[in-house]
This record gives sequence, C-alpha cells and structure tokens, in this order.
Amino acid sequence: MTAPNPNLTRRHFFQDCAIGTGKMALASLLARENGFAAAAPHHSPKAKAVIHLFMAGAPSQLELFDHKPMLTRYEGKPLPPSIIGGQRYAFIRPDAAVLGPQYKFAKHGQCGAELSEMLPHLATVVDDLAIVKSCRTTQFNHAPGQIYLNTGFSQPGRPSMGSWVTYGLGSETSDLPSFVVMSTGSGISGGAACWSSGFLPGVYSGTRFRNTGDPILNVSTPPEITPSTQRDTIDLINAMNQRRLQVDGDADTSTRIANYEMAYRLQTSAPELMDLGQETPETIALYGCDPAQPSFARACLLARRMVERGVRFINIYHEGWDAHSDVAGNVKKNCAATDQASAALVKDLKLRGLLDSTLVVWGGEFGRTPMVEASVSLGRSMGRDHHPQAFTTWLAGGGIRGGVTLGATDEMGFNVVEDEVHVPDLQATILHCLGLDHERLTFRRAGLDFKLTGVEPCRVIKEILA
Amino acid sequence: MLLLALALSTGAPSAQTVDFNRDVRPVLAQYCFACHGMDEHSRKGKLRLDLSETAYGSGKSGATAIVPGAPEKSELIHRLFSADEEELMPPPHTKKVMPEAERAILKTWIASGAQYEPHWAYSPPRQTPLPKPNLHPIDAFVQARLEREGLKPSPEADRYELVRRVYLDLIGLLPTPAQADAFVHDTSPHAYETLVDSLLASPHYGERWARRWLDLARYADTNGFEKDRPRTIWPYRDWVVRALNADLPFDQFSIRQLAGDMLPNPTPDDLIATGFHRNTMLNEEGGIDPNEYRFYSMVDRVAVTGTAWMGLTLNCAQCHTHKYDPILHTDYYSVMALLNNADEPTYAIPTPQIEAQQQAHRERIARLEAELPTKFPGGPDAMEPRYQEWLTSERARASHWEIVRPSEMQTTLPRLELQPDGFILGSGDISKSDVYDLRLQAPIQNVRALRIEVASHPSLPNDGPGLTNYEGPIGGFFLSELQGRQNGEPIAFSHAEATNDAEPDRISDAAKAPAKPKPGKTNNASAALDGEMSSGWQVLGGYAVAHSAVFHFAEPVDLGAGLDLKLLFEKHFACPLGHFRISVNTSDHATATGHPAEVEAALAAGDLSQRDLLLLRFLETAPEMEKAAAPLLTARKTLPRGQPTLVLRERPATNPRSTRRYHRGEYLSPKEEVTPAVPAFLPPLPDGAPANRLTFAHWLFAPENPLTARVTVNRQWQAFFGRGLVRTLEDFGYQSEAPSHPELLDWLAVEFRNQGWSMKKLHRLIVTSATYKQSSRITPALAERDRENVLLARASRFRLDAEIIRDSALQAAGLLSTKMGGPGVYPPQPASVTSEGTYGKVDWKTSEGEDRYRRSLYTFIKRTAPFAMATTFDAPTGEACLARREISNSPLQALTLLNDSMFLEAAQGMAKQVMAESPDDPARMQNIIRRCLTRPAAPDELALLAGFVAKQRTTGLEGEALWTAVSRAVLNLDEAITHP
Repeated sequence: MTAPNPNLTRRHFFQDCAIGTGKMALASLLARENGFAAAAPHHSPKAKAVIHLFMAGAPSQLELFDHKPMLTRYEGKPLPPSIIGGQRYAFIRPDAAVLGPQYKFAKHGQCGAELSEMLPHLATVVDDLAIVKSCRTTQFNHAPGQIYLNTGFSQPGRPSMGSWVTYGLGSETSDLPSFVVMSTGSGISGGAACWSSGFLPGVYSGTRFRNTGDPILNVSTPPEITPSTQRDTIDLINAMNQRRLQVDGDADTSTRIANYEMAYRLQTSAPELMDLGQETPETIALYGCDPAQPSFARACLLARRMVERGVRFINIYHEGWDAHSDVAGNVKKNCAATDQASAALVKDLKLRGLLDSTLVVWGGEFGRTPMVEASVSLGRSMGRDHHPQAFTTWLAGGGIRGGVTLGATDEMGFNVVEDEVHVPDLQATILHCLGLDHERLTFRRAGLDFKLTGVEPCRVIKEILA
Repeated sequence: MLLLALALSTGAPSAQTVDFNRDVRPVLAQYCFACHGMDEHSRKGKLRLDLSETAYGSGKSGATAIVPGAPEKSELIHRLFSADEEELMPPPHTKKVMPEAERAILKTWIASGAQYEPHWAYSPPRQTPLPKPNLHPIDAFVQARLEREGLKPSPEADRYELVRRVYLDLIGLLPTPAQADAFVHDTSPHAYETLVDSLLASPHYGERWARRWLDLARYADTNGFEKDRPRTIWPYRDWVVRALNADLPFDQFSIRQLAGDMLPNPTPDDLIATGFHRNTMLNEEGGIDPNEYRFYSMVDRVAVTGTAWMGLTLNCAQCHTHKYDPILHTDYYSVMALLNNADEPTYAIPTPQIEAQQQAHRERIARLEAELPTKFPGGPDAMEPRYQEWLTSERARASHWEIVRPSEMQTTLPRLELQPDGFILGSGDISKSDVYDLRLQAPIQNVRALRIEVASHPSLPNDGPGLTNYEGPIGGFFLSELQGRQNGEPIAFSHAEATNDAEPDRISDAAKAPAKPKPGKTNNASAALDGEMSSGWQVLGGYAVAHSAVFHFAEPVDLGAGLDLKLLFEKHFACPLGHFRISVNTSDHATATGHPAEVEAALAAGDLSQRDLLLLRFLETAPEMEKAAAPLLTARKTLPRGQPTLVLRERPATNPRSTRRYHRGEYLSPKEEVTPAVPAFLPPLPDGAPANRLTFAHWLFAPENPLTARVTVNRQWQAFFGRGLVRTLEDFGYQSEAPSHPELLDWLAVEFRNQGWSMKKLHRLIVTSATYKQSSRITPALAERDRENVLLARASRFRLDAEIIRDSALQAAGLLSTKMGGPGVYPPQPASVTSEGTYGKVDWKTSEGEDRYRRSLYTFIKRTAPFAMATTFDAPTGEACLARREISNSPLQALTLLNDSMFLEAAQGMAKQVMAESPDDPARMQNIIRRCLTRPAAPDELALLAGFVAKQRTTGLEGEALWTAVSRAVLNLDEAITHP
C-alpha cells in the first residue's frame, strides 16, 4: 500500500471548495501554473456578493432616469452634426429627428433624485441607490455590448466579471455554485459568452439556473434511479475511487471523490433553494412573483436566497428592452416586469441586514438615442436606436453610498458632460466593492497579463462609494 | 539557495549556473522590457535592455545600466534593490514587484559576465548527438536527464494499462475487452509495434486527431454572436479527418489550409481546406458595421496563425509594438496584409455525381422545352391562333430597349466591372451604405424610360443578383433610392414599376424570421423614387433570379448630354446590387413587360424569324399552359448543386485589398497602408516570390524557419504527456517557459522535418518510446519531487477530453456508431440548453437512430449554446483558437456522469449486453469493469461491486435495472475518464 500522497492535503482543500474553488489552495495551484499570486481580497471588502440585474436589450434612459425636456421642445428636428460627430448607428441615420421623453418625471426621496413615472417602486428605495447617469460604452450592437460589459472585451473569449470574481475570491459555499446565471424574457444576444470563464478554467464559468427542467442541468436523479440507489452509487464510486487512489496516487482522484460528495449535496441544496414555500406571503407579495412561474421577480427572490446561502455572483438577465419601435410601450411593459422586483430586492436585502454586504447593480449594455427610430420597410415608428454615448446604471448596497446621483448628459441627452463613467470604470468599481484591485486581478496567458478592465486606464468611481 | 529557487521556478533545473535564455530573459521580459525593450514609443529613460550593446551603455541618467562582471557598479542592480521609491525598479506605480529570487538571478547573471544569447526559439533547431546512442532517441534524452537528476524511469506499464493508453491516444477510443486481450496475450516481440501500426492505420485515428486540430481552427457549426445562425462548413471538418488519415504531410496539410486556393490548379480538397480561416465568427446582428467585423476576423486570423504555426503572440502587437517579443506594431499589420487579400465565398463542391446530375438536369430542361408545344390543349390547330393573338398583344406592349454601357462607374466600396453583354458585375467588399455613381452617355435623344435588369450570377453570394452576404436575404439587394442628374441638375422621374412588384415583402430581419413574407407591399420600384431611404426596390437572392424595373422620366432626356445616375443602397445590412444592366427607351409605351430582354427585343423588332424563342415564351406564359409549363419553370429555378462549404478565394490582381495599420488597433483609426511582410527577426520571405498568402504558407516550412517544427512537435507531445516540452504551447516568445528538454525538442523538430513532416511517423516515434510506455503510477517520492511530471520519470495521468469521455461511455455500452463524416448531429441533451437564454434559438431536434450515438466530433457545435456535456468537461465553444484545453474537475461533471440521460442510456445499453453475454454476477461485474476500464477487476473491487449488488437486491432492484445501476457506477469511476 502506498503512503498518503503529501499533496493530498492541499488538494483536499481545493476539492472542498471546488465548485467555486477554494481560496488559498487554488490560488497556490494557479500561482504556480499561471504566475498569479493573489487570491484573498486585495483590500477589505464591503460586499461579499453581487447581484447584477442585467437589463439586456438596453433600456431607454430617456424614459426612465435622464429627464430631457429639451427633446420635447425640439421634437421633429434633427440634432446638429456637431453633437453627433462620427457616431455610427445600427438602424437610423444620424440626422434623424429627436423624440421627446414619453413619460413624466418627478423628484423622489430625501435625495430628490429624478425618476420617471414608470418606476414607482424604485422611487421608494431611491435613497439607497447611486444613480450613474453618465455611463458610456464603446459598443453599439447588443452582442458585443453585452459581452463587453460582462468581460471587458467586445468579442467572445474573455472571462466574465463573475468568473474573475470567483477566481479572485473563491467560494463561500460548498453546497451551491458560486457564480449563478438566471434569465427571463427573450434570448440574450451575447449568449454564453456573457458568463463564460473565457481562458480561465471552466470551474469559473457561470452556472445557469434554468426555468425549465432541472434548475441546474442534471441536478435531479433520473426517475429510473431511487434516492437510496443514488446514495449507494455515490458511495460505491467513491469507495472504488478511494481504492484506486491508493494504486495510482493521483491527487485528482481525491478531488473527484470530493466532487461526488458535493454533487450529492447539490442535489439537495438546489431544490431546497428553489423551494419558495419557505418564504412568507408578505415576501412573495413584496416581489410580486408567482412562486410557480419563472419570472424576473422570482429570479430576484431566488437571488436573495442564493446570497443567504453564500453564492458569490449572480447574474439575472432580463432581455426585452430593445425599443426600436414604440419606446413608450416597451418601457411600460418591461417596467411592469422588473420595477417592483428590483425595488423589492433592495428592500428585502436591507430588511435582512444583507444589503450592506450585497452589491446590487442594475443596467443595460448601452443607452438609447435621443433621436427617433422609424422605418417604412421595417414597420417601425416612435422607437429609439442604440446609443453608446450615454446610459444610466444604478448601484446599491455593499460599498455604495445611497442617495447619490452622479454625472449628467447634455440638454439633448446625447453626450455625457459630467463625470463620465466608462464600462471599465463600472467593472473596476464592482471589483473594488468586493475587495479586489482591478489592476492586480490578472491572469497570464499567451504572454500577456490579462485583466477584466483591459489596457486603457480606468478608475474606481469613488464618488459613489460609501 | 538561489539554484534551488531556480529549480522550483522553472521546473527544469539542474544547471549550475544561470542560463540567459532559461533564467534571465524571462525575468527581463516580464519586468523590464515593457519600458526598456524594443518599443521606441513606450521606452523610458532612453534605456534599452533587450540588446547587450545598449544595456552595457547608459540611459538618460547617465549611469551604466549593466557592467558585465560587476553588479555593484551596475545601475540596474542598484535600482532593483533600491529602498528609495523614486529609484526603485520596476517603479511601484506599475504594481509589478520583482521577487527576491528573480532579482538574485539578475545579480548572478551580471556577476558572471552578463552574456546575452539569442532566444532559443528564434534560432533554427539542430540535432545534437544522442546522449545514449543505444536507446530510442526520446529515451536517450529523457533518461540522460533523469540520470542527472538522480531519478530512474518507472517500470513499463502493465499490458492492460498500455493497450488502453495507446488506443485512447491514437484513436480516441477504448479497446474492447477482446482487443485488449488480443494484445495482452500476444507474445510476439513486436506485438506492441504491430498494434501501434494498426491503430495508426485506423480511420478513427483521423477523427481523434482532427478534434485537437479543430480546437486550433476554432471550428463550429454556427456563426457566433447574437443570431448565431447555422453555417455549413462541416466538409472542412471532414477534410481534416481525411487528411490526417492519409497522413498528408504537415507542411502540405498547412499550406492547403492557409492558401489551398492559390495552388496551381487547386483541387476541390485544396479549396475545402481553406475553410480553416473561414471558421472566424460572423456577426449578423441588426445594424452592425460589416467591415468592422471583417477587421475583427482578420485580427483573429493573424492571432490564430501566430498560435497554430508560429508559437508567437502576434496578437499582442495589434495595438502597439509587442512589449516583450521583437514584433513591431507595423509587423503585425504586415502579417495581416499577407492574409488579407482573399474574398470569402461559399463553394459548391463539385463531384462527378453532381456534374452528371447537372448534365441530366440541363437535358431535362431541353426536353421539357422541346415537348412544350405538344402539350397545348387541343393540339397545334388550337395553339396557332392563340399564339398569333399573343404575338399581336405582346408586340403592342413591347418596345425597343437600347443597352447603355456606363462610361464611368464609381462606388463607395464594391468594384464594378462591365461585362461583354452589357451587364455590370460587382465584387469585393460592401458596406451598409453603398452608392454607385454611373455616367451614361450615348447619342440617344428623347429618352423616356430607363430600365435596370438584374440577374443571378454564379460569382455572387447565393447567386445574387445582389451582394448581400450576411444578415439580410443573402444574394439580394435593396435599392433605396435612384437619382438622376444632368449637368448637375436633378432629373425628375415620374413613376416606376418592377416585374416583382406583386411579390410580398420579405424585408424583415431575416435571421429572426427567415424570409417570412410581410403583408402589405411597401417596397417596390417606385419606393426607390420616394426620397425615403428606408423604403426601396428589393429583389431576393437565389439561382436564376431575373427581374427588371423601369423608371420613367418626367420629361424626355437627351442622353447625348450625359446622365449621371446615382444608385443608393442602404439598410441595416449591406445590400448593394451585384449583377445588372441598364437600358433606355424612347418609345411612349415602355413598361416592365416581364419578358426576357431577347424576347422583348424580338417582339419589338417584329422579328418573327425567331419563332422558337417567341413560341416558347408564349407557351410558358399562356394561361392554358399553366399546369403543363410548371415542370419546366420549376426546373429552371433549380439546379443540382454540390455540397456548399466556406472557402477563401484570393482576389484577382485587378482588385487587391489594401491593408492599413490601425492606430491602437482600433478599427476606426486606420493609418498608413502597409506592405505584406514577415517580422524582421525571422528569416525573410524568399527573394523574388510575391509577398502573399501562398508564399507565407511555404515560408512557414522553410528549413531556416525556427518555429513551425518546434511548435508542432511540442503540441503533439502535449497530447501524449499532458504537458508540452515547452509548457506554453501557444507562446515560444521571450515570455514563454523554457523547454524542459531543449535538446529533445530540437531533435524531434528536425526529425519531424526530415521524416517529411509525417504526423503518423512522429506519433509512432513517441508511442514506441519507453518513456511513453512507463507506468503512470505516482509514487509518493515522485509526487514530492516532480508533481507535474516535468522530468518524465513516469507516464502522465490526466482527465480525458469531453469528447473521449462521451465516446468511451457509448463505446463501452456497445452503442457508439462508427459512421464517419457528414453534417453535425444532435445527440440528446436537456432541452433547456438550447431553448433558454440564447437569442439565436436552435431547433435541437434530437437525432434518431445511430446519429444519437455518433462520435462527439460530429456533434453540432452551436457557439452561443454549446453542447452542455462538452462545456462541462472543458471543450471549447469555437469562439477562440485553443492550443491547450484547461482540465477542470468539478461537481457539475459528477452530476453529468451520474444523471445525464445519455449516460443513463449508455448504462442501460451496457446492462442489456452484459446480461446477454455473461451468465452470473461475477462474470457480469467483470464484464462491466472490462468494458469501462479495460483491465480486469481485482478481487477487492469485485467485492465492493458485489456488496452494492446485494444491497440493491434488498431494495427490490433486479435484472436490467440492477445491472444498469452497476454499469452506471462504473462509468462514473475516475479511472473510466482518466488517461491511464
């Protein structure tokens, strides 16, 4: 018989946290393999978890957050070319006429932030939010825009924010994946590239929680197999693997053994997580969800439950904001699906004392044009095209100062004129709240030290930090 | 202490001194070259440390950076160890901190003379004499090294382990128990070599090795990005399999993929092979700039070429001169220029069968035409009066059209070429807003109407007549506006009509709702006159499309004074015309008759001598012939076509594409034009040869090229040992890890070339070495000494690739289909993988019959929603080139093997077979173990299984359900999914 492998101890630690991977153990493994040394946070974190409410398709900031009465005054007239510059658009010609805001705005909360009448629920938590009206991106198409916001690069292949974070911080749970992805609405343009681990090992990929079938793929024992046989099977597999470990001495075998145990725990913890019967009727009503039906609201409630259970990074995609036609109707419909639950999430986290350690981010991949989109051949009217120059994102909770509005656009809502926040600034800020320095969270590949925020200088948005 | 630290950091240590290439340059590259390297623009303090002559000199500060032999006098050492933050290098603000060991390396190096040496990978490989001439060459190098390290090789693996390993490595499949036994009991001295040769000759060899190559080729069956529509490029995948099975020498294999279209008299296979660089993604999202994404495709092609053949991170020079390697920003675009002169057509693969079918089709059309008069109801007597009637009415409708050939043609982007028949043929790149300016001048007065005929042409996407090649209806066009000017003054049109005005619109976003007609006609010829860019005249693409639009002038025009015609094509996708002809008409009744031009000409001229032509046209269109003519009309719209696949086609000399440098790598910042070339630090392209893709492809295999052979053998080595001799498969530059066995790497590289770049010979060489045949058991001593198995004192254990895991399970169950080639198949997977969350939905109709059980190589690869099991086990999505897969070990993998329906199906299949084959419990258990693990089970393992069986029986599990449970457990064993 072989003596125990001296590497086992280290690997054991790794395996115990293998779904997100353990902090120190994996760090030392990767440090050796990739020249990356840090693993614990770089500084003391405010947030332990992130819930990113990704408003895919790009909501109209002009109907929700960025009130521009001038657009009504100039409705029907084109913007001067000096404002437009060389911007390319997806569908419209740059000289299209402007379109006034479709909804009324009012000031809310102690902070007096201006919100549209389409966000009555958000208005009740506005003092907890930092609203950034001066976001801008480099991308004007959905897939590249979404992939850029998630991975810092406009084409598939780079690790997503959730992957970087779990790579950098490891997992707080051994019963659930540490990076979870949910989606409602129609399909996501950026696809799996939005939560891919890119060139990081596959364990850092976001795990989809699905609306149909198993919430996690294959988390249910097949109907042909009884629960007791499942348990016995895992015991048999592990006993056989344990025996083989003695022969081959391969530490990966022992990781495998631990992963079967964890898989077994997942089979229980995932259904337990999904069981909203444990929630009070008040909570269900707060979110306004039907526990039996997949919806954005249900995903928000599940996200809170995940945070309680130690999940690190949660993406909820709500796709449907792409208002090329009838922007008023689009905003109304999507606010009906998201406003109450987004506000409820903030309230609920606060109620449970989790908001301070949970960062909530709400926003899309770009904004929408002050100009109207209309097309005879496509049958479109009263819409807005994609607008990379300005859009609004709000953040709340862990590390964020509430009641702040940052940045401003010009009076036509076209360009940012104050406190511009580029996508990498947003990313750096999210990492910062988690205790990570975006410049030090790197991965060596093909001769380069890659980082989420890319090579251009960027900054943490200090103005909105608590 | 220093030497020990070194040993650990490189994993390949034993030299007693610091080696520049192995130890020093990586440190300088990582910490110094970014500011003190070859990039002039980012150089700080006027100091350059990558060359000895400048490093021995001084920078701005005046102090001498390196004084060989005198670290205490060297400013570099002073700066590295300085306590003053102002002086310290690397500067604290860069957040680069040079560890103690690395600083010590530089100090030792300077103390010992600070000798610079050329980078090992940039000098051609040479074979050194074998250190142990009696041994297999691989063993000679490996064992000499082990000896120096005081280690011994492991004993040979047992026969079961060996047969399992060599099957998995060479063909990616398991040996059946019978195949394993045949080898184990073969006592002939050459049993192993015989086995190796038979595996190398197996058609499954190509399937196994194709998968690895396709990782580099970023092969997938969809376009990627939002819509992620399917594409047909599987003939390329099948070509790779065929080429590997035929042992097409690697130089030929590569040259065909990079430039097969440029070979003299290229064969269909040569063209199919160019699919390699057509595996780039295609963004078809509404409103993208197609040339921006074409640029990204080129960026990808340069990077992939660098990775796959050169082991260079060329991509690092896209935005600026390489921070570490001697690759200039301009070098990057010069390499791009070598690759950037191709069009990207879809190629219909010709075969003798297809040609025969086409011939038969043409004959059928001729026959149908000839027979048409005999089909007239009532016979010739009834036909003739109706024909005369038709002639009278159509002659009255017809009018004389004069073809006008433009005297000048200018466009925003496409190239227009006048054909002998007066048609204008477009080619080249297109944009979302293309404008054609055509000058018409002819001594024709009183012109009242202008006709644009459009017709299909085989050179166009989907046969044209338009140039649309993504997102919109492929091969269609959309004429937003038509404008005329004479002497600078606008010429008014009164109205227009087109022969397809009655067709429903198919203008909607083609990918979401492929070519669904929309009610209500808004797009027709007159929409090209309405001043509204979003409406226009549209014709959809396809074979044998022919339409025309007639535009009527408000006032007659004298063409003698010239007419400047402007055609504007603008949509959210690029949509210019590709094949069209312009004619004018002076009569008072010009109209779009719908007759072919030659028919209308004969009618207008009253040329009744062309009776055959006219009669045929009459018969095709006569209401009473509707049924009889239908087969002919349908036949004309269809043609048997070869299987399409995506290829490259070098542009004609008349229309080369220029390549520019892009400032900071940004598409919106094109700068000066660059000339095609290879980086200066590598051997030059041959004198006198044109600097193009083909020359470049040949150059990769020139004897003086230091990279290609090394990079290739290293990648092959990694497949067998889990780790390359150079760990960084994709990077042989200054930042790469030095080779663990440099002499072996070079020996193999030269041998590979000398053996005619034969992959099979290389693989044979590797698997017949004792090094390969060692046991993979990790003793505690070896685990302690060399966990990563750098020194190769044992064979390597690593988890198998996703595809092999799935194929093995199916094979062990007796379900695997060995059918080769063809379109991607859809094995079972949970429905939510493709039904949820992705924008470009795919209809994952689970394949029936044997296609459920094909080798994973043939699984349809959808980039935005890849096959779930494959992703869980680290298979790539085809979105980026991958030289080396990560190997992860996760609970999700356990869930897949335990609960995925396909693995359950495999367990059920196995149970059935095992019950039929084996009479009792022990035999059945042994059978299952043999099928999954190759080796027989040990008694204690059988006891574990027996305990499980007994317990399950107490719960009432019996028969097939029981043996399914046992099979399922064994399929989940670590050993079942591990390279032994």
